[in-house]
Amino acid sequence: MNTSRRPLRSIVIPYLLIAPTLILVLMFNVVPAIRTVNDSLYKPARGLNSAGKPPQFVGMQNFHDIFDDSHYMGTRFLRTFRNTIIFALATVGIGVPLGLLLAILLNREQPLLGLWRFAVFYPSLLPLIGAASIWSFIFSDSIGLANAILKSVGHPGLNWLGDRNLVLASVIIVNIWKQAGYFMIFFLAGLQNIPRDLYEAAALDGADSLQQFAYLTLPLLRRTLLFVIVISFIFAFQTVEQLQALGEGGPADSANLLLYLIFQNISERRNWGYVNAMTIILIGVVLAFTVSNFLLFERDENDS
Amino acid sequence: MNKAPGILPRLVTILKIALAVLFLIPLVFTILVSFRPEAEPVTKGSIFFGSEITLVNYQRALVIAPWSLHYLNSFLFVAGTLVVQLATVTCAAYAFARLRFFGRNLLLMIILLQLMIPSGVLLVQNFRMINILGLFDTRIALMIPYWGSAFGVLLLRQAFREIPIELDEAARIDGANLLQVIRHVYVSNAIPAYLAFSLVSVSSHWNEFLWPFIITRSEEIRPLTVGLNKLIKTTDQGAFYGQLMAGTLIVVTPLVILFVLFQRQFVESFARSGIR
Repeated sequence: MNTSRRPLRSIVIPYLLIAPTLILVLMFNVVPAIRTVNDSLYKPARGLNSAGKPPQFVGMQNFHDIFDDSHYMGTRFLRTFRNTIIFALATVGIGVPLGLLLAILLNREQPLLGLWRFAVFYPSLLPLIGAASIWSFIFSDSIGLANAILKSVGHPGLNWLGDRNLVLASVIIVNIWKQAGYFMIFFLAGLQNIPRDLYEAAALDGADSLQQFAYLTLPLLRRTLLFVIVISFIFAFQTVEQLQALGEGGPADSANLLLYLIFQNISERRNWGYVNAMTIILIGVVLAFTVSNFLLFERDENDS
Repeated sequence: MNKAPGILPRLVTILKIALAVLFLIPLVFTILVSFRPEAEPVTKGSIFFGSEITLVNYQRALVIAPWSLHYLNSFLFVAGTLVVQLATVTCAAYAFARLRFFGRNLLLMIILLQLMIPSGVLLVQNFRMINILGLFDTRIALMIPYWGSAFGVLLLRQAFREIPIELDEAARIDGANLLQVIRHVYVSNAIPAYLAFSLVSVSSHWNEFLWPFIITRSEEIRPLTVGLNKLIKTTDQGAFYGQLMAGTLIVVTPLVILFVLFQRQFVESFARSGIR
């Protein structure tokens, strides 16, 4: 590079332009991430009278503890981690096919298309906590809609947000309802890219709707499908605000999710070592999915 | 479809209606319950309108939280975040799209780390960072982690690259300085990308709860979602669902209206937002 011949101004300007973004990312993403790693190796000083004492280096002890089922935090973490995986798998396993179904139903021109799409998309516009608040009424014990329907068919009704075997399922239902319309958007974009004449050719060859779906739509949507699966996993690990209105993690963490457990311990300074260790696990999972996303889809981005 | 005329299209229609009804039920009942007398089971009176239609729930919900203040706070949070984002993102996107400088790819990679380690999962450390900066319980604390946006940089860098470089050169020959070039060549030719970014930014921050809840304590600066949380916690003790649904509607309506106004742009923006 012939930097010596360029005026100083033009050398400095690019750095000035990116400086604000760079500094903010360093301050609120990179440095905190490094600190998380560091702090996960320490046990913070306990109690009030130990204030001012330096944290004690404990190596991998925090990780050992959170994976130890007999440790008070290990019990919570392991159960919560398991819930988070079930939550993610269920959301993806049901929500993604549902989003695809909605997209196929609402792809072609039809009367009132905007209204149909609004009907299934509006949940993703609501704040999670607002969506959860709506469902807290539906799931409410005495006056809720879900139990009113069950009672009308002779069932005694369920304790949706109190029964430890049921709370997680309730939270999953809400999440699928909230996300399916959002997933639909990506499938709609993917479907728009499939040339219409392919279907006409297939129809001429005698393929029925199901065959067209299996041999045309699905293979051509493969990229979109993969993309939606990956981002829905990423979202599943980061969306926890609904728990605030839906049982707060349920009895004995039966419906707790990882980020919410971290949130619950934010004011418990003595648990910060564990919180940081749990954050590492969470980052690890999110990172794995994001990186696979980049490897799968962003390769062609990196030109020039 | 012409193989089995009548049956499949009819099934599709039935499926479509069933799904739409399923998705709409929560919204419909939220609205109905908000006008129904307090704590009245849906089985009492008419399933739709209860024993009478009342505005009491709205009156109650309105006094529990200072909604107009929360509205103002949410607005300031969202607007303050967006305005600064637009500035930082424009500068960085221009540099990465059109300038050559040492370390460009490395610096871009560092910024893209934000997509891999979103600040939302770094709750504890960012809580500490805000305390170190002495910003706890301030409006700045709400916004500052979002002022840099890797998603915005990526989106606009792409949009800027599609603008012919000749426009840039022509403007410079006409004597435009850097800021004028950015404004008149790049910004004005990338409006759809700006709109997409803005809708994604506004809708995600308008709906945000966890971070504002952690990082503020005074009601005077807390946004709508935190006000709604207070209503939820009040309801917990007495099952005042009518008032909770009224409050929920107060909170969620603006964004739904915004969506109805900008439906097409919203759908396009969300489709581009997978890498938030």
